[in-house]
Amino acid sequence: MDGARYIYCITGGNEKIALGNIGIDDNEVYTIPCQDLCAVVHNCPAEPYTSEDNEVMQTWVMKHQKVVDIAMEKFGTVLPLGFDTIIKGEEDIPSDENIKKWLNDDYENLRQKLAKFKDRAEYGVQIIWDPKVIGKKLIENNQEIKNLNEELKSKSKGLAYMYKQKLENLLKKEMEAEAERYFKDFYERIKRCVDDIKVEKTKKLDDDKQMLLNLSCLLFKEKSKVLGEELEAINNMEGFLVRFTGPWPPYSFV
Amino acid sequence: MEPSRDTHATLVDLLDRILDKGLVINTDIIISVAGIPLIGVNLRAAIAGMETMLKYGVMQAWDEKTRAWEREHLKKNSPSLLEEEEIVLKMYGYYYYSKGIYTAWRPGYFYLTNKRLILYRQDFDEIAFQVPLEEIKALLIREEVHFVKEKKKRVLYLMDKQNQVHRLSAVETTQLKKAIEQNLTTIGLFLETNPVFPAFEEVLIDFLTEAEEITHRGREIWYLVPASGILQETWRPGHLYLTNNRLCWWYDFERKLFFDVPVNTICSTKTEMRKTSGLNSTKELVLEVTYRFGSTELVAAFAGEEQIEEWTEALNRIVSGRVSEETETCPQCGKSAPSKELLEDGCLNCGWVSHRSKKKIAEVAL
Repeated sequence: MDGARYIYCITGGNEKIALGNIGIDDNEVYTIPCQDLCAVVHNCPAEPYTSEDNEVMQTWVMKHQKVVDIAMEKFGTVLPLGFDTIIKGEEDIPSDENIKKWLNDDYENLRQKLAKFKDRAEYGVQIIWDPKVIGKKLIENNQEIKNLNEELKSKSKGLAYMYKQKLENLLKKEMEAEAERYFKDFYERIKRCVDDIKVEKTKKLDDDKQMLLNLSCLLFKEKSKVLGEELEAINNMEGFLVRFTGPWPPYSFV
Repeated sequence: MEPSRDTHATLVDLLDRILDKGLVINTDIIISVAGIPLIGVNLRAAIAGMETMLKYGVMQAWDEKTRAWEREHLKKNSPSLLEEEEIVLKMYGYYYYSKGIYTAWRPGYFYLTNKRLILYRQDFDEIAFQVPLEEIKALLIREEVHFVKEKKKRVLYLMDKQNQVHRLSAVETTQLKKAIEQNLTTIGLFLETNPVFPAFEEVLIDFLTEAEEITHRGREIWYLVPASGILQETWRPGHLYLTNNRLCWWYDFERKLFFDVPVNTICSTKTEMRKTSGLNSTKELVLEVTYRFGSTELVAAFAGEEQIEEWTEALNRIVSGRVSEETETCPQCGKSAPSKELLEDGCLNCGWVSHRSKKKIAEVAL
């Protein structure tokens, strides 16, 4: 047994190239070629990297990203692997051979993917809205809500309470409908600027704002300006905030 | 708008990608990394910022605590035993704990061993009650009221050699008692044959004022607790007390007075056969006490099987006694007489009759 290999990414190339001690825990990173594909790896024991210490974990994850970034700079297109992907050897097969076998077996598929991602990158787009601002606008503009709000003012205390609940329910319903409308609108506008798009789970935010949509987008790096302009327009709308991140290796599309 | 790679929010976004995504290798040569998602959550939380970390942190500590508790809990599910001590019987039950105003039936497992009777509280790894077998002086089972009117609870009274009485209740109280007795016999101990248990005063009678005396008391008197809020009126068991000043009903379960009226506000009593339970249709004698409350009259209903007649009599004595005590002076001669007599029969001294009585007499004459 010769230990195992931690894999950062797959890229094109047919030479064994040393990238220096840039890996996790300063391990030496190098490429394992097979035909015209390379795996970017470092040597490691046959066990996953885990730590109770979050800071250690964070350092590792950032190192992982750093290596993929360097590989992207050096080789162009890469297919990134998730953190902690380790390939082991078997009794009579060294781990290098296992990697080569995999590259060989999956050659067509990997090649196709590399072609698909050529000159492209992944970008994250998250659109967040402020329910307070949107709700206020709804109260001002929605006739049904306006009516109910007017009625409420003339009611006795007990009835007013009931009306308030009615109003809250109606507002909630309208907010949901509004969210759906905006979602579709934004999705269509963004889709026009990208090659591929994936809807990700929205996430809870710390403040009282809500994430309306969370997208991963694949596009030509040069085209990020066009997407940026579209997002700028959304960002300028009252009550909306856009987070635009990237370029990332195409984690979401491999 | 330019994409960014190095802000704080960006970092979280990137982590989502590195931890959850990336090229997947579908082969068995990859080392399985169980537990990574968990670390991912943790890590993301750590990077997401202080605020979130606190949120997650609390949860994480809680999570760890509950798991640690569970491990402890699973590990330790019986009390530590003495040398040569063996468990004879294990049974779920309760021990009546009372200290000051705090009282509660504490649940746990009874462990009867060849040396002790223990009530062990697993969740807290605590022995709530224990008595060495040779300290048991006497046992007695009493049926007591349960929260629900139709049910009775068997309570095991255990007296120790210091004459302290403990109340125990188990899933099978009778069986528990038998097991204890058997166990005592096998180790050559005997219980007192005719134990005299001191009266077990369940009610903390601290509601009496100075110079107030209880003239009548009844256990297991049910009171129809009036509807309040969303709660419907319900029969509840308790203790009824008549003092020289008040009629009070003590609610067993909340351990406080629920009904408390001065005797001089009681106007009348009435009894009738009524259904007192929603579960069956048998009727029983119910005493209805009408009393003044401000300017209105209210009715309180009590049930308590054969005790009710006795209570009705006691209350009637008060009502009728009070009427005869009220005296008035005759408007004509000034002689004092019971007001009822004066109004209905007229003055025996001077022959004065009230206006209403005059009318009545006139009507009769016609």
